[in-house]
Amino acid sequence: MVAHLVRLRFRLLFNGFRRSTAVLVSAILGAVWALFVLFGLVAGMFALAFVPPQWAWTVAVLGGSVAVLGWLIVPLMLRGMDDSLSVAKLRMFPIPPQRLLVALLAVGLLGIPGIVTLLVAVSTTLSWIREPLALIAAPFAAVLGVLICVAASRAFEAVGASLSAGRRYREVMSVVVFIPLILLGPIISVAGSSIETIGDDLPRIAHVASWTPLGAAWSIPGDLALGRPLEALAKTAIALATLGVLLLLWRRSLAVLLVSPPSSSSGSKASKGLGPFAWYPGTPTGAIAARTTVYWLRDPRYGGSLIVLPVLTILAIFMAATGSEWFLVLLGPFFAAMLAITLCAEISYDGTAFASHLSSGVTGVADRTGRVITLAIMAVPLVTLATVIPLLILDHSAHIPALLGVAYGLLLTGFGVSSIASARFLMPVPAAGESPFKSPPGASFTSQLGMFAAWAIVFVLALPELVLAIVSFATGQIVFGFAALIVGVVLGAVFMVLGIRRGGALIERRGPELLTSLRRARGA
Amino acid sequence: MTEDPSTPVVLTPDTPAPPIVAALRIAGLKKAFGDKVAVDDLDLTVPTGSFYGLVGPNGAGKTTTLSMATGLLRPDAGTIEVLGTDVWRDTVKAKSLVGVLSDGVALFDRLTGEQLVTYHGLLYGMDRETVAQRTADLLELLDLNDAGRKLVVDYSAGMTKKIALASALVHAPRLLVLDEPFESVDPVSAANIRDILAGYVRGGGTVIVSSHSMDLVQRMCDHVAVIGSGRLLAAGTTDEVRAGSTLEDRFVELVGGRQHSEGPSWLRTS
Repeated sequence: MVAHLVRLRFRLLFNGFRRSTAVLVSAILGAVWALFVLFGLVAGMFALAFVPPQWAWTVAVLGGSVAVLGWLIVPLMLRGMDDSLSVAKLRMFPIPPQRLLVALLAVGLLGIPGIVTLLVAVSTTLSWIREPLALIAAPFAAVLGVLICVAASRAFEAVGASLSAGRRYREVMSVVVFIPLILLGPIISVAGSSIETIGDDLPRIAHVASWTPLGAAWSIPGDLALGRPLEALAKTAIALATLGVLLLLWRRSLAVLLVSPPSSSSGSKASKGLGPFAWYPGTPTGAIAARTTVYWLRDPRYGGSLIVLPVLTILAIFMAATGSEWFLVLLGPFFAAMLAITLCAEISYDGTAFASHLSSGVTGVADRTGRVITLAIMAVPLVTLATVIPLLILDHSAHIPALLGVAYGLLLTGFGVSSIASARFLMPVPAAGESPFKSPPGASFTSQLGMFAAWAIVFVLALPELVLAIVSFATGQIVFGFAALIVGVVLGAVFMVLGIRRGGALIERRGPELLTSLRRARGA
Repeated sequence: MTEDPSTPVVLTPDTPAPPIVAALRIAGLKKAFGDKVAVDDLDLTVPTGSFYGLVGPNGAGKTTTLSMATGLLRPDAGTIEVLGTDVWRDTVKAKSLVGVLSDGVALFDRLTGEQLVTYHGLLYGMDRETVAQRTADLLELLDLNDAGRKLVVDYSAGMTKKIALASALVHAPRLLVLDEPFESVDPVSAANIRDILAGYVRGGGTVIVSSHSMDLVQRMCDHVAVIGSGRLLAAGTTDEVRAGSTLEDRFVELVGGRQHSEGPSWLRTS
C-alpha cells in the first residue's frame, strides 16, 4: 500500500510533465538549477570537515532549524502547491489511518523537496569525516531531522485543515504569511551593516536553537564531536519526543479528517445588504464598479497585488535614511506606474465569470469604465499622498507640481493603456480561491512581454509631462512644474478616454474569443 | 427534421396565438475545435411558447450549441436567430431577449446571492427599484432568502444552480436557455424550479433546457430534440419523438452505444 501510493505520486508528477513541453522544459531547468545548488551544498558540507568542529556544528544546527521552519511555512504559502495526494482525495478508500500516516510520510519524504532535504541532510555526514563517533551518528541524526521536517509539515497542515479554518481565514493568511518574506530583503540589508557582530552571535543562537525541537536532531553529531555526549543524548531525546508528538498530532487530526471533511462554509458570516452596490449609481457602469469594489475588498488576489506598495515605501524610507533620497522623492510616480498596470489582469481575474458580462450584452465602455472608476477611487488618493507627503517631509515642496503631474499622467495614461491591454491579452493568474502568489503553470512569456510592452507604451505616451518635469527639475523654475501638472492631467485624461473607448470596442468585438481562452485557461 | 414550427403544442388556453417567428432558429450551424468537429451542420427550430428539451450523450455538442445560440461562442458557419433577431449581427438586442444559465462557467462568487442577482439586473441596464423588487421576488421564489446574504462561493452546488437561475431570470427574458439546470439540485427545489419554468412558459416565454435526465425531459417538456455527434438526430413534440416508447428507450435507440451485459462475474455478490 505504501509503495503503491509512492508510485502513484511519481506517476502524477510525470503525467504533469507530459501535459506540455513548456512545463517539462521549465521542470528540467529547475532540476538542473537544483542539482547545481545541491552540489554546492554537498561540497560545502565536505569543506566543513576542515574547519573547527564548532563551526560545522553551528552550520548544521542553524541550517537544520531553517529547513524545519521552511517545511512548516512553505506549504502554508503555496497552498495547493502539491495536493495531488491530499487526505480529501484518499478519504474514500478503506485505508486505516495508521497505514495512511506511514504512506503519506513516505510520499512526503520521496517528493522532490523531501529527496533534496534528505540528500543535503545526509551530506552533513561529510563534515564529520575526521570525527569517527560523530561520523557514525550523523546519518541517523540526519534521517531523524528530515523525518521531523516532513512530519511537522504534514502535521501542521492536517491540524490546520481539521480545525476547519474558514475560507476567509485561509485567504487572509495566504497574504499575511508573505509580508515578512517580502520585507526580508530590506531587513537583511539593514542587518547587513552589522553582519560582523552577528557573526559572533551565531554560535550563541545555534546553542539556543539546538535545545529546541527545531535544532535538536541536527545538533547530535556536533555535540559528540565536541565531547558533549550527555548533551547529545538529551538532544536525541528531544528530537525523538518531537517526532513522536508530531506523529501523534498528525495521526489524531488525520483520523478526524478521514471521517469528517473540513467544512468550507464556516468562513462567511451573513453580510449586510447590498454593500457597495448601494453606493454607486444603478447603471451597468455603477454595477461593475461596485462589483470590482467588492472584489478588491474580498478577493485576496486583488489586495495581494497591492502588497508591493508598502514594501516600496519601506525600501524608499530605508534608502533615504542611508543617504539616497531619489527613490523617496519619486515614490508617487512609482506608485502610479504600479497601480495603473494592475488593471491589465482584471479580465483574467474574472475567469469564466466574464461570461455574465458577455451574455448581458453590457457595452464594452461600461465594462472598462466601471473597472477604472474603482481603481481610480483607490489609486488617486494613494498616489497623491505618496507624492506629496515625502516631498513635504524632505522639504522639496517646490517639486510637488512637477511630480504630481508625472504621477497623474502615468496613472491616467496607464488606465487607458491597460484598458486596451486587458482586452487584448490574458494574464496567467491563479484561479479564484487559490493562493494569490501561486504562479500558475504556463505563465507564458508572451503575456509577460505584453505587460512590459504596456508599461513601455505608458511611459512613451507620458513623455510630454516627463520632459516638462525634468526641465522643471533642471532649471528649478516652478512654472515648468505647473505646466507638467496641467499637461499630465489633461493629456492623461485624453489617453484614458481613448483607451476606454478602444478597449471597450475591442471587448465587444473579441468577447467570445476572450471567453474561449478563459475557458481554456481553466482547463475547461 | 420532421419538425413543423407552425404548430406548437398548446399547453393552456391563454397561450397567445402561434406567432410566425420562432423563439430560436438555428440553420447550418458548424463549430470545430481544432480538428474535432463539435457541431456539424445543425438545424433546429424552437417554436415560441414551447418548453424545449435538448438531450444528447456526453460530448454531443449540446453546450457548444447553446453557447453559440446565446452569443458566448462564435460559430464557424451558420445563422442563429432569436425571435427574429440575428444573434451575431444584432448581438446586443438578441442578448437582451435571452436569459442564460451556462454549465461550466463560473459566477462572480465573491458576491452574496443578493448582490449577484442585483449585479446581473443592473448589467442589463434595468433601474435600481425594479432590480431590487425582482431580486427579492426571485430569492423568495427559489427559497434563497436566508442564503441571499451569504457569499455564493460558500453555497452548495444546488444553491449555486438556483442563484444562477435567478440571475438568468432577473431581466425577464423572452427566451430562457438553461444548460443542465437540474444537476445537483434537490428534488424539492427541482420541483419548485419546474413549476416556475412551467408558469413562465404559460406566460408566453420559451424555455430551452439541456439535460441528461430523460424522465425529467419527458415529463416536463412539450418539445424535444436529440443531438448526437454534433448532428440533429430527431426533433419535434415529445410525443412525436418518443413515438409510443419512452424517451429513454428512444434516445438509446437513436444514439446507440448501449451494451447488453451483466457486467463482470466478480461484481455479482451472490
